[in-house]
Amino acid sequence: MAAPTGWASLCEKFRSSLSLSNVESKKDPENEPYRSKYGARELLEEIRQLLGSEEAAEAEGAPAGEAAALRAVRLAVVEYELGVNHTETEELSAGEEHLLKCTRLLERHRLSRGCVSLYIQAQNNLGILWSERGEIKTAQTYLESAEALYNQYMKENGNPPLDPNEHFMAEEEKLTDQERSKRFEKAYTHTLYYLAQVYQHLEMIEKAAQYCHTTLKRQLEYSGYYPVEWALNAATLSQYYLTKQCFMESRHCLAAANVIFSQAGQVPSSEDNETEQDQKDLQQRKAEIARCWIKYCLTLLQSARKSLEDNIGELDPDRQTELKAQRKKEEDEKEKGRKKAVLFGTSDLCDSILATEEKVSCICPLDFQEAREVFLVGQNYVHEAKEFFQFDGYVTDHIEIVQDHSALFKVLAFFEEDYERRCKMHKRRIDMLEPMYVDLNPQYYLLISRQLQFELADTYYEMMDLKVAIGNRLEELDSHTIKKINSLAQLAVKYYELFLDSLRNPDKIFPEKLEEDVLRPAMVAKFHIARLYGKLITSDGKKQLENMQTSLEYYTFLVDYCEKHPEAVQAIETELELSTEMVGLLPTRMERLKAKLSPFS
Amino acid sequence: QPAAEGRERAAHPSARRGGGAEQLAKLRLQPADACADRGELLSRGRGRSLCCQEGDPCGKGDLKASKMAGASVKVAVRVRPFNSREMGRDSKCIIQMTGNTTTIVNPKQPKETPKSFSFDYSYWSHTTPEDINYASQKQVYQDIGEEMLQHAFEGYNVCIFAYGQTGAGKSYTMMGRQEKDQQGIIPQLCEDLFSRINDTTNDNMSYSVEVSYMEIYCERVRDLLNPKNKGNLRVREHPLLGPYVEDLSKLAVTSYNDIQDLMDSGNKARTVAATNMNETSSRSHAVFNIIFTQKRHDAETDVTTEKVSKISLVDLAGSERADSTGAKGTRLKEGANINKSLTTLGKVISALAEM
Repeated sequence: MAAPTGWASLCEKFRSSLSLSNVESKKDPENEPYRSKYGARELLEEIRQLLGSEEAAEAEGAPAGEAAALRAVRLAVVEYELGVNHTETEELSAGEEHLLKCTRLLERHRLSRGCVSLYIQAQNNLGILWSERGEIKTAQTYLESAEALYNQYMKENGNPPLDPNEHFMAEEEKLTDQERSKRFEKAYTHTLYYLAQVYQHLEMIEKAAQYCHTTLKRQLEYSGYYPVEWALNAATLSQYYLTKQCFMESRHCLAAANVIFSQAGQVPSSEDNETEQDQKDLQQRKAEIARCWIKYCLTLLQSARKSLEDNIGELDPDRQTELKAQRKKEEDEKEKGRKKAVLFGTSDLCDSILATEEKVSCICPLDFQEAREVFLVGQNYVHEAKEFFQFDGYVTDHIEIVQDHSALFKVLAFFEEDYERRCKMHKRRIDMLEPMYVDLNPQYYLLISRQLQFELADTYYEMMDLKVAIGNRLEELDSHTIKKINSLAQLAVKYYELFLDSLRNPDKIFPEKLEEDVLRPAMVAKFHIARLYGKLITSDGKKQLENMQTSLEYYTFLVDYCEKHPEAVQAIETELELSTEMVGLLPTRMERLKAKLSPFS
Repeated sequence: QPAAEGRERAAHPSARRGGGAEQLAKLRLQPADACADRGELLSRGRGRSLCCQEGDPCGKGDLKASKMAGASVKVAVRVRPFNSREMGRDSKCIIQMTGNTTTIVNPKQPKETPKSFSFDYSYWSHTTPEDINYASQKQVYQDIGEEMLQHAFEGYNVCIFAYGQTGAGKSYTMMGRQEKDQQGIIPQLCEDLFSRINDTTNDNMSYSVEVSYMEIYCERVRDLLNPKNKGNLRVREHPLLGPYVEDLSKLAVTSYNDIQDLMDSGNKARTVAATNMNETSSRSHAVFNIIFTQKRHDAETDVTTEKVSKISLVDLAGSERADSTGAKGTRLKEGANINKSLTTLGKVISALAEM
């Protein structure tokens, strides 16, 4: 009887080919990058030849009927490896041929324990192959078929199927069920991951996100993962959910990110240098996750504001009552919704994640108390993020974090009923933005510098408006309040002017025509300055006339610009309308005032 | 707003850090102001895009000197001679140039009107120097390089970069060859710089020149003047001094030969650095910075003021997509390949939020 050694040597050959393809190939020199893979290919071809002959299967003493089936599966494994080999060496047609041969050999038994994993992997690779050809829809077909096959197998059978490589292993080397399951699930995870990419290319974003989410989930359960990498991916996915206002899913991802990240712990390393760098990287990653949390809190608050605000941007108490009543009703449904969502992790992970989630709400806050709680969580993460992203070293990141902090205050102010307290919140914004602005070199940070100028101007304007509103509730405006109002107005003007100055050329000339991306802000700045001069309070008639004149000039600028550049009109319709009105009214008012001041001239 | 001005300042123990950096095309997407009624602010880039619109209805695009927030930008295009492969295939030249206009014919649609584009300069270098219309290395330098140098002496920062596919001739234009009359912009500029410095007779002026040379490859920055420093150099930001590459060597040079030597050794380091099988220059960007300091001593007041300008010379990586599907110059289209490894999951997820 011929060789059990014949069979053993075949297995050895197969193992060698795998080693060449997967291990040795990484060391191939630059000018012969596929050397090992070609070597592997030769071995595989040899195996294929040998399998072709009858003796191989019979030599093993397998019962005759099964011999053919056994040979077919083994051949399929070789065809699969050849298919992958050719694909990886950029020979797509040959690759396709081999992979198709593989699936044909397995077709009738593809739902069996011995074949299903290989079949799915073959389809995965056919998907990849077709994507390399730019035919995404064909790729989609193969991958969805693999997905369906997995589901069918799990439903009808469910036993851990054989890993394809087992067909070339001796009995004692065969894998445990646990290992089989692990490898099978890993193959399927890849199917889902590839589908996520396909959906992304087809711009089916929601589906792509869903598959990414499932991939992450499965990484925790089956595939193995790097904690830091996983955490960052989960945090990034949370940002996608924010764009869809899916706060529950977003929070879940972020909470999971926190929990998994904490698994990263200390990395013991031999060289001191390495450790320091690693530590720094770890700190940076943590800070990046913190920033994702900040965006979560901010988006949640802003979404709440949107649903509560009336047509002048104030909190509408009726809407508030309405939404609160609605919320009570929805609380029951929320529980059901939770179970439908794709939850991460095994039971103990689940508990940790849940604990983190409970620290912050995922439903829109409807009053100041609730808003403040979300605000405080956001603020904590601001502090955490700023620890790493310091001003000196990470200017743009630091400023973005502070801008978010300012935005948190701004949206919280919306919920605050008391005007004085609101004013204090805006003051906090000034206090955090102004010092940064002063220390920033606009030569290098023009864009940010302009943003800060504008935000400071807007904030001072807001504060001035609040002081005026507070003042209006009193019998009479006292001189202290008047001073305050004027000072705030002038500070707003100062920053709007600084912004407008930033548009001038090196010769200090204001551009004749404004670029598209600065057009609206520039016009709005002019408009606001005009209004602010109209709000300055003075008992001096002459001064008042001057203010009105300045106001008129700025309103006129807008009107004139839009005449000269009609395409600009659509960017500032409302402001233009009001400006045109004022240009009509102001001269008359000024005349009247003039007459009052000098009745004898 | 002076976007690109050198600074006059009283000299003091210099606060200059190790090396300035050019952040190549790192325009951040800033969050638009949430309050739309108060005016949104710039949310993308700045200034006008410099790209010709393909499929322009009238077939014309203008790319002349545009004013971008106070800086002036000039665009030149240059066409090279056929290489042996192209000659072997009997290629047809589809480019014509007249004055500063470049016209391109679509070989697949010969009946279609050729499209014309105006640039600041259109350099016809397809033929040979014998051709009266031929644009030589010297001419390119005279038009572009001399003006740059002049701006630098005035205290402005200047930057030049070459953009195009691998093999288009970027390095030839930027660096050129050692042979006579084949030197590119960079060597000519450096020679000129030192000529002018050495020609100065004014005792109150003193000059210093420092250079740095870095390579950007696969999102990593390498110091080409100190290649042994294997570390990936970090790009940091200073609020006043702007972005810079931490620990990038800045070496003082006193002559054109010094610069040449450093460039040569830097270029060699480029070849060794890449582990990729393809030509290094086709995959990485190289940025050569000259930091030029002019000090003027005022005898009366005994104050020394200095002007610092930065000349950035950039050799960009080939603009073609390194795609195994052989994308036909459609560099604007993303490859629809599937990434095999789960290590790219992060990239896929990031793209979700941006779509």
